[in-house]
Amino acid sequence: MKEQISLTTIYVALLGSVALAFGIADILVWAGVLNSIEIGILTIGGDDFFRWAWGGLVLTFGGILMLSGAQNIYQLQQFSKAFLGAVMVWIIAFTDIFATVCENIPAGEETPAFFNSLYGFFSGFLPPYTPAVLLLPFTFLLAYGVYTWNSDESKRDLPDE
Amino acid sequence: MTIPCDQRWELVDLIAKRTVSKGTYRQTLGDVLGELTVKPLTGIPIALGVLYAFWSVFSSFAGALVTDGFMVKLFDNYWLPWLQNVWPDPNSILYFLFVGDPLANNCFEAFGMLTSGLFVAIGVVLPAVFIFYLMMTILEDSGYLPRLATLMDTVLHRIGLHGYAIIPMILGLGCNVPAVTATRNLETKKQRFIMMTLLAIFIPCGAQLGVMLDVIPDTIGWVMLYLILGFAIFGYILSKVIPGSNPEILIDIPQYRWPMWDNVIKKLWNRTKGFFLNAVPFVLAGVLLVNVLYLTGVIQALADLLAPLFVTWFGVPKETVGPLVAAFLRKDLAVAQLSTIAMTPYQMITSVVLISIYFPCVATFVVMLREGWRELLAAIAALAVVVFAYGGLIHAIGILLGVA
Repeated sequence: MKEQISLTTIYVALLGSVALAFGIADILVWAGVLNSIEIGILTIGGDDFFRWAWGGLVLTFGGILMLSGAQNIYQLQQFSKAFLGAVMVWIIAFTDIFATVCENIPAGEETPAFFNSLYGFFSGFLPPYTPAVLLLPFTFLLAYGVYTWNSDESKRDLPDE
Repeated sequence: MTIPCDQRWELVDLIAKRTVSKGTYRQTLGDVLGELTVKPLTGIPIALGVLYAFWSVFSSFAGALVTDGFMVKLFDNYWLPWLQNVWPDPNSILYFLFVGDPLANNCFEAFGMLTSGLFVAIGVVLPAVFIFYLMMTILEDSGYLPRLATLMDTVLHRIGLHGYAIIPMILGLGCNVPAVTATRNLETKKQRFIMMTLLAIFIPCGAQLGVMLDVIPDTIGWVMLYLILGFAIFGYILSKVIPGSNPEILIDIPQYRWPMWDNVIKKLWNRTKGFFLNAVPFVLAGVLLVNVLYLTGVIQALADLLAPLFVTWFGVPKETVGPLVAAFLRKDLAVAQLSTIAMTPYQMITSVVLISIYFPCVATFVVMLREGWRELLAAIAALAVVVFAYGGLIHAIGILLGVA
């Protein structure tokens, strides 16, 4: 049990650190301190203030919240902080996905058709992806935590160590 | 008949026994999440996240999907060419009023009532207002809005308002007409006046935001920054200058809950319908009237008269005077008109900020008049000072930065 709790703490702390690093990288790339980054399926880059500076700030706060909630995560207060951190990552990830959906439904200016083909629509979702989208599946553990929280009362207020 | 004190207490006990159930209170996840969204240290980052989501969904849906994705194509490729073909005599006055420029190849630049007017009303404003009110209703019904009001209370007290002023402010980003009506929720005359004045000057409506997103997507951030700064500076000055009180209020914060979709749909329908009934006639009539004023030379005469002030004091080209005068009728159309004038990016930012802080559109003007003519006159006086001072300040900042 002790080892399991520590593993959760380590997992959330790692997730928070990565989110924090990605958030800072978003802002630094927007500010021109770093060149745009493209490693494998990850892409960070753009001069859009709203997406990269403001969005990066939200991701940074998400990382900080997860880090501050990682210790003693089975305490309600701590878990709530970590969960809110995950919510911040979801906000950026889902708005990125929603933007991709909205951009790929219409056919585009160059063709007289109104709707994109099915192939054209799905090809919009090919990699690379933004940091928040890549982090998204890893944050679902915290959503699972919320799901099990109410059904597993005994875990409440259980000390980490 | 009077009940003796003992009997009264017995009655109280009896009612309490039948109605009150006792148990041990255990804090739930929802309770803690509710608290965290109100405390400034955690609440402000969350508010930044929520507002990011709000704006991102708004621009993706209204901008990328509906307006750019479908409406531009529908109006420019089908509606405009059809209208230009079927309407007789391109040199007639009626053609100028209803179809606009016979050589235009897009509805934005045609400036006819049935081209630009209809495109702005249906193609730009409808999707913007729809998604704005949908998001607003979800925030309201989920219980987040009262928390945002609590969070903003301290900040808004610095400009003579209280937390619930956030509601007219957010409503104003959709349309200033319901926002001005919502100022009635504020406690004192001073608060109502400050809010109404700031709404009329510094809060761009959904229609204007939609057009700005379409016309100046790269510089909209700077325009918003200038408007937020102006809101804070002039709000602070007004709170010091205007006599009256700014009392504390108690805010009832409900639990977080999933919105009921029946309610969301009803509210969305009522608000969108209300906006359309109030604003769309003004959009169409506004375009018609602007065209009449152009045709009769009134706007040109005003432009010549005001040109020295605009060129030397605000640092914008002479040609912007026409759209700025026309902005009284429709601010969104005025932004669209600016897009056709050659100017530097900084002049474009200055012009769009000037349109935003300039006289409220006719629909807002009428609603403000309904709230009281004295307040309206005072708001206009404040507005004239703000436009002159802030417009000059933006020009001065541009000169200092070497971009004006």
